[in-house]
Amino acid sequence: MKHNRTHPEFDSSGSRRDFFARTSDGLLGAAFAWLFSQEMFSGQLAYAEEAEHESTELRQVYDLKPRRPHHAAKARSVIQLFMNGGPSQMDLFDPKPYLNNMDGKPFPGNVEEIGNQGTDDIGVMMGGRYKFARHGESGMWMADILPHTAKMSDELCLINSMWTDHPNHDNALYKIHSGRLFMGYPTLGAWTVYGLGSESQNLPAYVVLQDQLGPPKNGARNWTAGFLPPLYQGTPFRPTGSPILNLKQQYEQPTEVTETARTLLSSLDDIHRSKRNYYPELESRIESYGLAARMQLSASEALDLSRESKATHAMYGIGEDWTDSYGKRCLLARRLVERGVRFVQIFMEEQPWDSHADLAENHRGACLRTDKPVAGLLQDLKERGLLDSTLVIWGGEFGRTPTTQKSANGYSGRDHNMQAFTSWMAGGGIKGGTTFGKTDDFGHKVVENPVSVHDFHATILHLLGLHHQKLFFTRSGLEERLTGIHPPRVVTEILS
Amino acid sequence: MPHVAAEERAPVFEVDVLPVITRKCGACHSEKVQKGGLNLVSMTSVRRGGESGEALIAESLDDSLLWTMVDGGGMPPEGEPQLTADELGVIRRWLTMGAESTMPVEQADTRLTQHDILPIVLLRCTTCHGARIQRGGVDLRTPEAMKKGGKNGPALVAGDPDNSLMIQRIESNACPPRDQLLKYFVRRPGEAEVRVLRKWIAEGAQEYEILPDVATTEPDPLVTDEDRQHWAFLPPRQVTEHASIDGFLAEKLDAVGLAMAPEADRDTLIRRAYIDLVGMPPSLTDWKKWHDSPNADWYEQMIDELLDSPHYGERWGRYWLDLAGYADSEGGVSADPLREVAWKYRDYVIKSFNDDKPYDRFLIEQLAGDELVDVANEPVVTQDMVDNLIATGFLRMGIDQTGSRTMNFVPERLGVIDDAIHVLGSSVMGLTLECARCHSHKYDPIPQRDYYRLKAVFQGAYDEHDWLTFKNRYLSDATPEHQQRVAEVNPPLEVKLKKLTSQLKKAENEVRLELLRQHYPNQSEEDRTETLRALGVADNNRSLPQRILVEMLQTVELIPDEDQPHAVVEALHVVAQLEDEIASVVSEMEPPLKVRALWDRGEPSPTYVLLRGEHDKPGTLVGPGVPSVLTNGQTPFVATPPFPEGTPKTGRRLAFARWLTQPDHPLTARVLVNRVWHHHFGTGLVKSLENFGVKGETPTHPELLDWLAIQFVDHGWSVKELHRMMMNSRAYKQSSEVSEESHRLDPQNQLLSRMSLKRMDAESLRDSLLFVSGKLDNRSGGPPDAISVDRDGLVSIEPSKEGKWRRSVYLQYRRTEIPSLMATFDYPVMGPNCISRSVSTVSLQPLTMMNGKHVRELAVAFAERVESQLDEQSDDGGRVSLVYQMAFSRSPTDEERQLGLDALKQLRMKWKDQPEMSLVTYCHTILNSAQFLYVD
Repeated sequence: MKHNRTHPEFDSSGSRRDFFARTSDGLLGAAFAWLFSQEMFSGQLAYAEEAEHESTELRQVYDLKPRRPHHAAKARSVIQLFMNGGPSQMDLFDPKPYLNNMDGKPFPGNVEEIGNQGTDDIGVMMGGRYKFARHGESGMWMADILPHTAKMSDELCLINSMWTDHPNHDNALYKIHSGRLFMGYPTLGAWTVYGLGSESQNLPAYVVLQDQLGPPKNGARNWTAGFLPPLYQGTPFRPTGSPILNLKQQYEQPTEVTETARTLLSSLDDIHRSKRNYYPELESRIESYGLAARMQLSASEALDLSRESKATHAMYGIGEDWTDSYGKRCLLARRLVERGVRFVQIFMEEQPWDSHADLAENHRGACLRTDKPVAGLLQDLKERGLLDSTLVIWGGEFGRTPTTQKSANGYSGRDHNMQAFTSWMAGGGIKGGTTFGKTDDFGHKVVENPVSVHDFHATILHLLGLHHQKLFFTRSGLEERLTGIHPPRVVTEILS
Repeated sequence: MPHVAAEERAPVFEVDVLPVITRKCGACHSEKVQKGGLNLVSMTSVRRGGESGEALIAESLDDSLLWTMVDGGGMPPEGEPQLTADELGVIRRWLTMGAESTMPVEQADTRLTQHDILPIVLLRCTTCHGARIQRGGVDLRTPEAMKKGGKNGPALVAGDPDNSLMIQRIESNACPPRDQLLKYFVRRPGEAEVRVLRKWIAEGAQEYEILPDVATTEPDPLVTDEDRQHWAFLPPRQVTEHASIDGFLAEKLDAVGLAMAPEADRDTLIRRAYIDLVGMPPSLTDWKKWHDSPNADWYEQMIDELLDSPHYGERWGRYWLDLAGYADSEGGVSADPLREVAWKYRDYVIKSFNDDKPYDRFLIEQLAGDELVDVANEPVVTQDMVDNLIATGFLRMGIDQTGSRTMNFVPERLGVIDDAIHVLGSSVMGLTLECARCHSHKYDPIPQRDYYRLKAVFQGAYDEHDWLTFKNRYLSDATPEHQQRVAEVNPPLEVKLKKLTSQLKKAENEVRLELLRQHYPNQSEEDRTETLRALGVADNNRSLPQRILVEMLQTVELIPDEDQPHAVVEALHVVAQLEDEIASVVSEMEPPLKVRALWDRGEPSPTYVLLRGEHDKPGTLVGPGVPSVLTNGQTPFVATPPFPEGTPKTGRRLAFARWLTQPDHPLTARVLVNRVWHHHFGTGLVKSLENFGVKGETPTHPELLDWLAIQFVDHGWSVKELHRMMMNSRAYKQSSEVSEESHRLDPQNQLLSRMSLKRMDAESLRDSLLFVSGKLDNRSGGPPDAISVDRDGLVSIEPSKEGKWRRSVYLQYRRTEIPSLMATFDYPVMGPNCISRSVSTVSLQPLTMMNGKHVRELAVAFAERVESQLDEQSDDGGRVSLVYQMAFSRSPTDEERQLGLDALKQLRMKWKDQPEMSLVTYCHTILNSAQFLYVD
């Protein structure tokens, strides 16, 4: 096969632009588009420091080359531990003694301020279901069902004053991931790789690790590139079997036959191309066949957890009933970040934190599955010196109400609360041992230092060296931004 | 400097500022021309501001909109004379020193009118006190009706808000009732809104004669004649330079010293025409027919024959479905509910293309089919009447989350209406109308007012204050024959179906129980039945023990079928059988009478401009109208109820549709002609298919575009005639080979110095694969074909009983379940529609084509077909020839034949004890080759 990498078609910026403008929105398109860009732009692993940051305004070519940030970055990559369903702030991070005392009594305010689906199913006040204690040097409060995370509290910054705009899962999920309440907008991860590109040569820039029990609520819309060019969308690695669909041959055929078929194909394509000059897409197509083969190797290596020590496995709870699945994904996230992947999202199936019923037991289960792996991840990143450059984010799409809600088996859980919830961050530029923001006596509303979703996003971008105002994409003549029209606030108080 | 003293004294508007404004802003913001609704000639109008409703003057400089706009805010616009530093200084000093003026500011009339309170009442009250429901006998849609009130007396007492029932009920939170807020999707009025209601009542609840803002015979201050001079806003010009496509093209080629590429060979033309018009290669017989035809006009005959093929509508209808944003599901929420009988619209579109329905008629039906015939009052319903109603499905294709029990508030409804306007603008009008929703269009002369006039056109059918639920969007007008068939055929089948469905449910539970029994022999039978019960509870309402049970089940369900114990496999078999039986019963059923439509209900709410697009910031009352820039600005829009004696309808959409399809409409024919050109030649004459506005691409051949548009209309808006015109041109018959010269002088092929190589789109690729391998099921129309999602996220298409598949246009389009093969080849995500498909080259394509199971199965079938058509004496040479003829519609060259012979020989050797598999591998490789995927 003739591979002429310095073919004039590939060198003129015009055809490169054409080529990338056409990159797909196929399910896994981003990964491959990325591989392409590497192939075509030299194949050398380049670091961001070497590349000039091109203003997004001037950007004409869409690729995943590493880009220089707007300002010095604290974090180089992000691992987002997404807690779908909405964990309860007053049960896990934000103790409310007054609420505990009111347990079983009616809500003293206007119940309309609580109900999302009307007021019929609102029950009485519900005290926190677990014991709280102070942890670490900062004396951070945490519930006893997070014993492992508690040990890492000096690395964490709890933001107890998060709030969002919609009490529905669907919309709140769009909001927390893309800053908008509706479908079709790019997610934080997509904006990040649009702004910074990737530092990995053989892996996608933005990887999504799903639970083998099923996809999260809202599925692929949690990692969509929206209106950004599709190469910025997240690439989901399948939780079972081969990580990418059809990465391996799905039928029986001897290897020697496959090799002969490959040779035949390149001969056929060479004949085809020889009569068709000046069609760069034909060259690209041939390259894509070669790259498909290479992808198999690099992905397999990164995904091979057996290369890690027993001690590491144990740290993540791998091999233990409750923690095996989540632990593996956390370890995988570390291996990906280590290899230069920019943004990793870990999801659980559906929405395990959504506890309208039996909150005490359900949250216990969700904590059991995630607590040890999450702490293991933080510990492991720290030991390897990666925590300084990796921002870890933990949280869901909203919080929960101080009152109980009626469900099939009576009043034992909490409804959605968009007015207050807790998220935490750790690593890359975050001031550890911080508890930020305050809620009222019930944990129902924010009363001090509110952090909107836009503020949250602006802060994350800031840590990555991106300025929320300078990061935009022009669409139908409008500058679109992750953080919307009204200027957000970078929460400088939580930065180290 | 005219006013030296300005340094010492506070500047005054009339003396210091107005001259600057007149000089630099006056062209767009005067009494006569009011861009953005803004007039800057007097202090009164400056204080009033423009369409955003914000005054230009404020306490501080930073809050002053005037300052923000002139100080780096883009005013005056690029290209216009800018304010000098001195002029800026004057404005700045004036604003900071009290913004004084000599003339007293006329106190704007602050008395409230009914149009200050009606938007509030519509938003908060009329759901229960309006057209559909009149709780307590109260209708609040007019001041008169408010004064009349209901069984508890008048709703208001003019002059006395404290004693007005509506104020009392609102302030005590009795209205809207707490338990009904979500049921009727209303929110409580805010304090500011209650203040407005109180003030209006206190002022005597006055009703004034206020006419909606509509086009009149007076010149339009918001759009100038200069604005109307953009080429696309003027009617197509009758040109006489040339009488054919080739003439126009040759002129430009000549100018750079280029000529058209040589004509492509016959086989290339055959394949090109087939893929272009029907989306599949010719059968062996058809290929031979044209290949061997001795007729001089074989080519024209072939085009005619293809245009007559029923597959033509399946191919070209699909392009229209992209524009409409056709989907079989609502989208918006995770559940992504299915749209029953949306497919009737798909069939309508395919049929319309096959029948060559005149394009103007096609548009009128889709925009206003319900206003064409008063079906409800017709003695006999004909299929054409039903089709008119089905056609209006065009306006109901967008993403719609208003079926959700929490997402059906006015803002979401406005989003649905905006999608319909977006679809109309981008597909039919070549305008980005949706940009004018929140403020006047940034580039095109489309004031925000025009967006809302257009919204008023739809108000009779799409009323955010009188919204139809998903269930109520169906009409059941049907022909007597259809009704009879449904009555005869369906009842016994429904009984059967009910029985089978309940059997299936049992069988599925039996699988679950068997899974638990086999994998957890120690589990108690109670726990097993509890697991089944838990499955019936929504996952977020399950108790922990229930969650654990369900998870245990899910874990064993993950085990592949081939590794399951025998008993499980048997139980699964029973399920599969029942599913087949159900599918067969369903396929025997007559489609339901239902039609998914949009129809005018004759009672539109008033339409208000929404400031900044916000649902609770009403501005001017507007009436229906069309974008002023596409008219002379002095032509009133006249809509009359089409059935004065019959069903009440406004006739607004019909009037709009008639205006849109006037023969000399500046956009309608041009946009369509350009789109057809795009599909035949690879790019449009105007590259930006959806934007003919100021920021759109300039046409490469403006005269040709106009000539085609006029020809198209003159030929009765016939799309098939347009195909003939384009495909019979010499330009279309060019070879796709790029000569060095052509590449140098026409690198982007803008001059059409050759045909462009095209990659097949997802549908033609899949349909061609199926066709070549003999797995294409030719049945057309009806309910969409099911798709299935496996645990790994692979979305596949279910085959029919015969193990075949129908064409891709008949696939179920569910927004959350796009078939993997299709997605890989750029099948679109509708948001809300798709203007043109992207063409990607990514490695997932080779993985799908080389490693995927489905394409392999098709390769096996292809090889079997080849073998079955060979006679006994045939050798590998015969095989290679046949493969080429079937897949590529041509015979192999000597080089290719030799390559094939060598390959088959080697493959046979390497397959060792399965030499017959060599042909499968060969066929599979052929299907993977560039020659198959690309069309010359």
